[in-house]
Amino acid sequence: MSELPLFPTTTVGSFPKPPYLLEARRKRLRGQIEPEELRKLEEQATREWIQRQEELGLDVLVDGEMYRGDMVAYFADEMEGFAIAGLVRSYGNRYYPKPVVTGPVGRKRPITVDWFRFAQSLTGKPVKGMLTGPYTIAEWSFNEYYPTRRELVMELARAIHEEAVDLERAGARFIQIDEPAIHTRPDEDFELAREAMEIVTDGLGAYTITHVCYGDVPRIYPRMLDLPVRQIDLALKNEDFALLEVFRKHPFTKDIGLGVIDAHSHRVESPEEVLDGIRRSLAVFAPEQVYVSPDCGLKTRTTEEAVGKLRSMVEGARRAREELRSGTLAPR
Amino acid sequence: MRTTHVGSYPKIPDLPAPGRWRTAAEKLQRGEITREEFRRVEDEVTREAIADQVEAGLDMVTDGQIRWEDGQTYFARRMSGFSIDGLQRWFDTNVYYRQPVAEGPVAWREAITVEDYRFARAHSPKPVRPVVTGPYTLARLSQNRYYRSFGEFVLALARALNQELHALDAEAPPLVQVDEPAILHHREDLPLFREATAALLEGVRSPVALYTYFGDARGLLSAFAEMPFHAVGLDFVAGPRNWEVLEAEGFPADRRLGFGILDARNTRLETVDEVLRALDRLSRVVSLDRVDLGPSAGLEFLPRRAAKAKLVRLAEVKRAALEVTR
Repeated sequence: MSELPLFPTTTVGSFPKPPYLLEARRKRLRGQIEPEELRKLEEQATREWIQRQEELGLDVLVDGEMYRGDMVAYFADEMEGFAIAGLVRSYGNRYYPKPVVTGPVGRKRPITVDWFRFAQSLTGKPVKGMLTGPYTIAEWSFNEYYPTRRELVMELARAIHEEAVDLERAGARFIQIDEPAIHTRPDEDFELAREAMEIVTDGLGAYTITHVCYGDVPRIYPRMLDLPVRQIDLALKNEDFALLEVFRKHPFTKDIGLGVIDAHSHRVESPEEVLDGIRRSLAVFAPEQVYVSPDCGLKTRTTEEAVGKLRSMVEGARRAREELRSGTLAPR
Repeated sequence: MRTTHVGSYPKIPDLPAPGRWRTAAEKLQRGEITREEFRRVEDEVTREAIADQVEAGLDMVTDGQIRWEDGQTYFARRMSGFSIDGLQRWFDTNVYYRQPVAEGPVAWREAITVEDYRFARAHSPKPVRPVVTGPYTLARLSQNRYYRSFGEFVLALARALNQELHALDAEAPPLVQVDEPAILHHREDLPLFREATAALLEGVRSPVALYTYFGDARGLLSAFAEMPFHAVGLDFVAGPRNWEVLEAEGFPADRRLGFGILDARNTRLETVDEVLRALDRLSRVVSLDRVDLGPSAGLEFLPRRAAKAKLVRLAEVKRAALEVTR
């Protein structure tokens, strides 16, 4: 990606939906508006986010996922073999729709490709193709059909691979496969998740990324480096860069998507804080390895918080570049 | 054979029915209703959870743990010595809990489960079993910033929870269930677990059941059976090796077995025949009149309709089993 600057800035995928879109989604659920009307508003919101990302000066853009609800249920809804069971509590009063696998899973048609094309048509900057990984889709669904988790994960891997190939054909140069559930059973299942990722990214020419968040990353490190992707995107900020200690012991051999912004706090970080995070990370990464990003998707923030956080992130990365050029960027 | 629930129950009904608990929790957070008003919603939902279990035909029920934010915070926030920290994954589930942190000596301050138990008993025609998170599991899932060793922390919690069991004694519950899933993943801690159990049960008069789930009791079952528990609960879904363990080690004739055989974490509904076959296999090791048939764990992993279906299936299996033996 020769045209990208050092410390390219990007995001993890989701942005907050504007109030008019939230309202339209509620109306659609109640059958009060037609799908076409909802689609128009989703497109409008996507345009707004593409424009905002360009104005902020981000280097690798996302479509913001204005048309997705939950990251697993969205794919389940669009695929064969799934039904939606109902809401399940994850913590506090947070609930998520948990799909049920009721038959052989597979794609009916491309899932995200139209949205990718639409978003990419709005900008000259690269837009990432955004997929949820097979292990996470399987882990966050009920399985009433496949005799084993392995069979379900492998079948999903083939479907997500087809989707990745279609994204690449549509022009995606960056493809991100999110696996936030990958450390659910770190000993028993990591190898399964790795094999599944091998199927997903097999033969792709695009720059591949996986995003992992929450949970026990040290438990799957350094095995994590065996994942067949170019970049691993991780949340460092919300634990104040504690993971750097883990990477110090065993060198991080891939590019790092360096989470420098807490996606779950209301506080807007300062550019200095971002710069400081990048400085600290250079104790274990070469500058060329580092992509700068928030810890996680920003969809739970307000638009103002998200924009404020990203503005600081882009500015912090810019200062880091400048310091590096002038030779004053010292790892801490 | 008895049919029994062993823990949590979904707090909200399936869509499109309104999720009153969820709405009330949001309002409480925004300060739009008082704690007292929220408690009344919890009361109503607890009654729903009990009604579902009773309608399904269970012999023994729980209060559905509607008032539990999770199995750790519910206890830690009412004991002294703890602060409550960030979210952690609860075992290998997609459920998260706020992690308690021992900042000073942990101690029992007030009855934690007693009022909730009284409420449930008053609203249930069937016997209710209160559930208490055991000291070992509570310590494992917490952070220790005060005690010099993990062992000291566990024993301090065992002494604190012993007072909770004494408080429950005054209510004369038919059975108190102590949950200790964490020990399955730390077999090496069996000596500590034994010591903690002695402290936990000291002077307790109520029958106490030890419940484990999310794994098997390899290398532990015989030791559990020697401890003064009235019953031992095992998960035969996430811990299929419990079959071998049970068949190899046997099970004492003076204990009840909590037979967790319906998958609490998957919507797939087991057939009556499937469970009857499992009971047949079980009957070669444990006399069925000493079996408490139940789900493999609490049912809050499921949407409510699926959870209710599991409860109904438990009662159907029992009826079918009685036919077979008649």
